[in-house]
Amino acid sequence: MNGIHDLGGMHGFGPIDIDPEQPLFRNDWERRVFALFFGCAPHGFFNLDEFRHAVERMDAAEYLELSYYEHWLHAYETLLVGNGAITAEEYATRCAEIAQEAG
Amino acid sequence: MGSAHKRQLSDPEIRVKALESLLVEKGLIDPKALDDLVDTYETKIGPHNGAQVVARAWSDPAYKQRLLEDGSAAIGELGFSGMQGEDLMVVENTPEVHNILVCTLCSCYPWPTLGLPPVWYKAAPYRSRAVSDPRGVLQEFGVEVPEDKEVRVWDSTAELRYMVLPERPNGTEDMTEDGLASLVSRDSMIGVALVNPPA
Amino acid sequence: MDILTPDLVPGMLANGATTRVDVDAPLRFKVGDEIVVRNLNPTGHTRLPRYLRGKRGVVEHAHGVFIFPDTHAHHKGEKPQHVYGVRFSMIELWGDGASPRDCCIVDVFDDYMDPL
Repeated sequence: MNGIHDLGGMHGFGPIDIDPEQPLFRNDWERRVFALFFGCAPHGFFNLDEFRHAVERMDAAEYLELSYYEHWLHAYETLLVGNGAITAEEYATRCAEIAQEAG
Repeated sequence: MGSAHKRQLSDPEIRVKALESLLVEKGLIDPKALDDLVDTYETKIGPHNGAQVVARAWSDPAYKQRLLEDGSAAIGELGFSGMQGEDLMVVENTPEVHNILVCTLCSCYPWPTLGLPPVWYKAAPYRSRAVSDPRGVLQEFGVEVPEDKEVRVWDSTAELRYMVLPERPNGTEDMTEDGLASLVSRDSMIGVALVNPPA
Repeated sequence: MDILTPDLVPGMLANGATTRVDVDAPLRFKVGDEIVVRNLNPTGHTRLPRYLRGKRGVVEHAHGVFIFPDTHAHHKGEKPQHVYGVRFSMIELWGDGASPRDCCIVDVFDDYMDPL
């Protein structure tokens, strides 16, 4: 698709944020998002091409604004929730429970 | 004693906890395996691997030849293989050619030799300009490529993964492989830095 | 594997998940061939960036046969085909103001190219 991800040659994104001290993961949730890909791999919920396409289908403005691992999180929700692995209802309920517990 | 501080969870934290906890309950994932995966990429698989490959190639011309002919096989000789490097091609910087790597469409990167990519590699500024203004990008990284040298940009659109074999700096003729490896930065193997001679 | 357990992690990482497939597919191009990229604008998944469409290049590498992402992403089959490393001059891609000496080398699937 001619999506926002197809960035080659575009202008207007400003300077490269070269931070030599950047860690691989800026917080714990990024670590979990990264690892989840491989946890899902044995079950065939999605292939890598499908995963990339799910990222590509994000809202264009969100794609640019959200961080890299939020792209992956969006893809998991697209491909796992309401798609056989997790129902939309149980996901919504669990999110609410976790938010509630945290106070 | 006060109660344990309750921190509000961010939206992504809530969502990943929800996904993970549900998948655990359904017996589909083992959180310890996920911990090990993270640990592997935070502590074991990283650019120090690629630096060893480069040092070996600089020291051993026959190895360098094998590396340029079949990158995956050659890095396999040093024990590096697998995920996101199954079909690896090593491209050599020479006095005539400077190579630089990008994945304009997402973030493809040679994990077995370089580990996980830096944030800037995966972001719009680099991905958009590396293919259309590589010399400008290199200038931002402090690298000036002479006009009469060719800049070659490799955009990894398929499942081939690339790695740059940087030029060996002068004054390193007597160095051991370990010493050579310590000179080689991650950025030099992406093609956004040169390897500096020893101080 | 049924579930990824800690003991399986090192092997999974070491083996990887190549998309190279050991099948014959028509080898339509060889190193040195001049090609033109098709003007494809699929609404589904593709690994053909917009900046290449309609552009002329030269085949520099024949990488072998791989799963085709455009179909695989949509469960429409692996459609294995050759992937070529194609050199495009900066002037061809970006116009006369571009650096005359520089180029991009991009991996292009067989389905994306025609002979020039």
